[in-house]
Amino acid sequence: MKARLIIASALAITAFAVAGCGEKPNVTIYKQGQYQGKPDNVPWQSQPFNNSQADWDKAIKARNARQNEYARIENQ
Amino acid sequence: MARMKFLCDAERCIECNGCVTACKQEHEIPWGVNRRRVVTLNDGLPGEKSISVACMHCSDAPCMAVCPVDCFYKTSEGVVLHDKDLCIGCGYCFYACPFGAPQFPQDGAFGLRGKMDKCTFCAGGPEQDHSAAEFKKYGRNRLAEGKLPACAEMCSTKALLGGDGDVVADIYRTRVLTRGKGSDVWGWGTAYGKPETRQPAPPQAKS
Amino acid sequence: MLTRKSTGAAVAPSRLTRPVATMLGRTIDRRTFLKRSGIGLSAGAVAAQLPFSIVDEARAADQPAPSNIETKRTVCTHCSVGCAIDAVVQNGVWIRQEPVFDSPINLGSHCAKGASIREHGMTHDSHRLKYPMKLVAGKWQKVSWDQALNDVSQKLLQIRKESGPDATFWIGSSKHNNEQAYLLRKFVSMFGTNNMDHQARICHSTTVAGVANTWGYGAMTNSYNDEQNSKCILFLGSNAAEAHPVSMLHTLHAKEKGAKVIVVDPRFTRTAAKADTFYRIRSGTDIAFVMGMLNHIFKNGWEDKEYIRTRVYGMDKVRAEAAKWTPDEVERVTGMKEAEVRDVAESMAKNKPSTIVWAMGQTQHTNGNAVVRASCILQLALGNVGVAGGGTNIYRGHDNVQGATDVGPNPDSLPGYYGVATGSWKHFAAVWGVDYEWLKQQFANQTLMEKPGIVVSRWIDAVLEKNDLIDQDSNLRAVVYWGHAPNSQNRGKEMLEAMKKLDLLVVVDPYPSATAAMAALARKENVYLLPAATQLECEGSVTASNRSLQWRERVIEPMFESRTDHMIMYQLAQKFGFDKQFVAKIKLQKGKGNMDEPSMEDTLREINRGMWTIGYTGQSPERLQAHMRNMHVFDVKTLRAKGGKDAKTGYVLDGDYYGLPWPCYGTPELKHPGSPNLYQTTRHVMDGGGNFRANFGVEREGVSLLAEDGSCSAGADITTGYPEFDHVLMKKLGWWDELTDAEKQAAEGKNWKTDLSGGIQRVVMKNHGCHPFGNAKARADVWNFPDPVPLHREPLFSPRPDLVDKYPTHDDQKVRWRVPVLFKTVQQANKNAVQQYPLIMTSGRLVEYEGGGDETRSNPWLAELQQEMFVEINPKDANDRNVRNNEYVWVETPTKAKLKVKTQVTERVAPGTVFLPFHFAGWWQGQDLLNYYPEGSAPYVRGESINTAMTYGYDIVTMMQETKTSLCQVNKA
Repeated sequence: MKARLIIASALAITAFAVAGCGEKPNVTIYKQGQYQGKPDNVPWQSQPFNNSQADWDKAIKARNARQNEYARIENQ
Repeated sequence: MARMKFLCDAERCIECNGCVTACKQEHEIPWGVNRRRVVTLNDGLPGEKSISVACMHCSDAPCMAVCPVDCFYKTSEGVVLHDKDLCIGCGYCFYACPFGAPQFPQDGAFGLRGKMDKCTFCAGGPEQDHSAAEFKKYGRNRLAEGKLPACAEMCSTKALLGGDGDVVADIYRTRVLTRGKGSDVWGWGTAYGKPETRQPAPPQAKS
Repeated sequence: MLTRKSTGAAVAPSRLTRPVATMLGRTIDRRTFLKRSGIGLSAGAVAAQLPFSIVDEARAADQPAPSNIETKRTVCTHCSVGCAIDAVVQNGVWIRQEPVFDSPINLGSHCAKGASIREHGMTHDSHRLKYPMKLVAGKWQKVSWDQALNDVSQKLLQIRKESGPDATFWIGSSKHNNEQAYLLRKFVSMFGTNNMDHQARICHSTTVAGVANTWGYGAMTNSYNDEQNSKCILFLGSNAAEAHPVSMLHTLHAKEKGAKVIVVDPRFTRTAAKADTFYRIRSGTDIAFVMGMLNHIFKNGWEDKEYIRTRVYGMDKVRAEAAKWTPDEVERVTGMKEAEVRDVAESMAKNKPSTIVWAMGQTQHTNGNAVVRASCILQLALGNVGVAGGGTNIYRGHDNVQGATDVGPNPDSLPGYYGVATGSWKHFAAVWGVDYEWLKQQFANQTLMEKPGIVVSRWIDAVLEKNDLIDQDSNLRAVVYWGHAPNSQNRGKEMLEAMKKLDLLVVVDPYPSATAAMAALARKENVYLLPAATQLECEGSVTASNRSLQWRERVIEPMFESRTDHMIMYQLAQKFGFDKQFVAKIKLQKGKGNMDEPSMEDTLREINRGMWTIGYTGQSPERLQAHMRNMHVFDVKTLRAKGGKDAKTGYVLDGDYYGLPWPCYGTPELKHPGSPNLYQTTRHVMDGGGNFRANFGVEREGVSLLAEDGSCSAGADITTGYPEFDHVLMKKLGWWDELTDAEKQAAEGKNWKTDLSGGIQRVVMKNHGCHPFGNAKARADVWNFPDPVPLHREPLFSPRPDLVDKYPTHDDQKVRWRVPVLFKTVQQANKNAVQQYPLIMTSGRLVEYEGGGDETRSNPWLAELQQEMFVEINPKDANDRNVRNNEYVWVETPTKAKLKVKTQVTERVAPGTVFLPFHFAGWWQGQDLLNYYPEGSAPYVRGESINTAMTYGYDIVTMMQETKTSLCQVNKA
């Protein structure tokens, strides 16, 4: 445990030192995310959709319909 | 699955710039950066037409293709986004984009050319949804709130439509059918090689 | 190991499940913005002030912020369309703005101004006037509110003592809500003068007078929404696409459904670009054009003969005048070809219902009162008035210019167009709960109490004119600019001279406005600036152009040291010693800083108790608020509620028209639904129907002025014309006993306008289906005006000297509204001005800015879109002057004032005409006035005001200024 911590902190210190020299990371390694390897979450992941894509789709479709004034005017 | 699209109805756009300021205030965009702008052809002449232009969220986006650091990504809803932490501000995407969508804010601390900025379809960016970081770098994430882009939602004449391509197409189809003039969507002929058989009648200006 | 912090952080799952409210709470933390409260920021460093930096290593804050998010429903404070806005407020900070799709008026839509209105609540780049200031040795100095109020009140009292209350002039605001506008009328009355006015004078006064004298009420007859019922829409003197952009939602929807849209304008406007047909007309020749149309209409028998017979008086005289306007003569005067005029006439006649739209293009002329009447006559001839899809759609300017006209500071009338005669004062003494004799002794004398005051367009003359030529004892010595832009008035050079001569100038405004800069240019001292709250910082009702009232919730607290207008009025009333009378029947409530201010809801209730003439009596705050909460139940085309019950109060909305468009007669309990289209006989009066007003007697020269048999509102017990109702007529008809005993007591000796119980209105309308104001014919012949039938008259600065003799202007008038006014003298002296100044100069609006523009030019999101004042000039004229696009030129007018502006070379204007927008100020004949503004509060964008150079000219009836047709020369700078 201790050894691992020491190694970890040593690595961290090294990384910090490198960064301290002003060197910028120039290779990006992505953790696997949702979008082509880039980390982002889908719009329905957070509140108020609670990970329900169906709810989000429904909400967006309903919202979209409000751009159609025919729906507001002619269906009254 | 929704595929997000913008469509601007040139028969309706009155160049009021509501979409521009809606975008500016929603995302608090600085002076000089135009994620969206209104373009007018034949300004002041019979046949004057305006459309509102921003990132079109291309299906096969040229900006994505050329980006040397591969900072772009496309969401499952068809929104083209990018990671500003990766962007090197080279401007190659600006060369590639047919719409002039990429913007390069002046950035005091790091020289003249900042990271690229563009329309996000109000979908934020890779940062955590609704976080301060996301807002600061990319603006609001309306999609994650179940809302659509502020520009389209606030358009004064509902010329600019934005949302699920199917719904947008339905809305637009209703209008075209009501007008009974056939599809005179701007650029149709250019895009699909079909000669525009019927030009929109220019207002009869007095000579 | 080289994963970056921000992306690494993004995978932590816990954050994805946090409730959205707390997330929002953190996102929009504005503490940093508030900290940088913008005080003392210079206008130049635009980019640096804005809160956008993408290089910051921004991270989500870790401590959860308290979330206290509320949504406030308000109404845009820019133009008169009345777009609803949902303002999202967190901890008192306005953080977001959401579209109100439910609104039947704007359906969520906004123009550039409405979509960026949230800037209002931003502190970090605010160019607001932040604290009271006074001019000391030519420099702006911060003072306390106490000192400012003491100084201002003492100086005003001193002037009143030395020269009488009429030595002061109060310019109110069309931005005030109804309650504030009403209170200002009361406030200035109690100070003892009728010398007050507001923007309507120079915006639609000719409409108000001309249209009211034609058929009863001087307002938009139908609504923006109602254009959806039109088959043909003629824009004559309106560029709605820029001035009222959201109205185009209805216009373009109508067009899509088959309506023909025609624009006749000197300029190919953005509205014209959306029209089916555009014809160019020479500026200032509208009457000749309308008479030309009538000529075709009568010649072809396209008029509605039955309508004219039953509902119109004096059309024969119009017929005789129209006969003179042969196609050749119309072309000679207007430049329009016979086929064009005929096309418009035929389109209007054969695509009914057809409507006509106008704004400043018709009103701002030396014969504006006649121009608007010509348009009314056109609609009467076609039988288009009182018809859904028809009417005269008169687009008002500011968000509450309609309301301020209805109930606000007008020099010639008390709220509700009651006039300033003894009876009106007595009525208001009762409504206000004060003694008439007390009110009278506040004035210099009864004569001045009953004499219309000075108008905003002429205050400069009341300062500068020789004392023996003005119609009051003293010249003006003090002027209070209470929410009004000086650059909206013509003759700017002379205004500067007038400002020099004043003893005191006070500006009450959220922004220091161009008045501050001009005052600092002209003076060294005795100028005070008092910071007022905006309309988003207080609640109250606002009347849109279509006469619908909407209730604004307060979005945020008044920012900086600003105070609400009604609080400032109350505090000055305290200094003047009439605070008790001022709020005799109005509750006080605690406002900012725990200080007292009149309650807006209670003020509206007082308005409800007094405004019987125009039906501002039914719109109680409770009813209006219920409408705001339930916008979705209102139909867009008819504005009518289909069912619906307010969840909060249980109020039943069914049948109400949105915003209870006035007239909404009777008490709120009578539940009149409001009147969406005026004078519509196909409806019962309790259903929003009506007929033309009997306001001009019952007969003239042996001809009855009342409507003919069979012409009446649906279901009326009297099926022919009848006069207005009073206690005598009620008794004669045997309806008197339908009043309750209490009503009888209140109504005895009164008429429908002065019966404070509302009993007469109730019985006449509800029991008998009749209209309280009678049932008469509209007047095509307004015999009490200088030109009873509209006559074309050449502008004072005419580009056509050859037409001046045939179509001369009026004779000079010795006294109008207390000052002399010149017509022929100016026209004759400038008959050949066109040789030196060959270009017709006209002015108008831009979509990005509003009014004088101080507020909108201080909004960075708008200012960025129009950064320079410009002149639109045709390529031919530009080439002849060797100027190119986007170059500086000097625009010079016969006043010798010179404006340095950029060129916009475009065929939008015809050769021989130039156009300049009017929203700019802050430059003075080439000089930037930046240093004359209080530090940090000059607008981002400054430019020449066209009105610095705009020439002399006023409408003979209302003193509307001429700003649409003048002459100038353009030279390379």
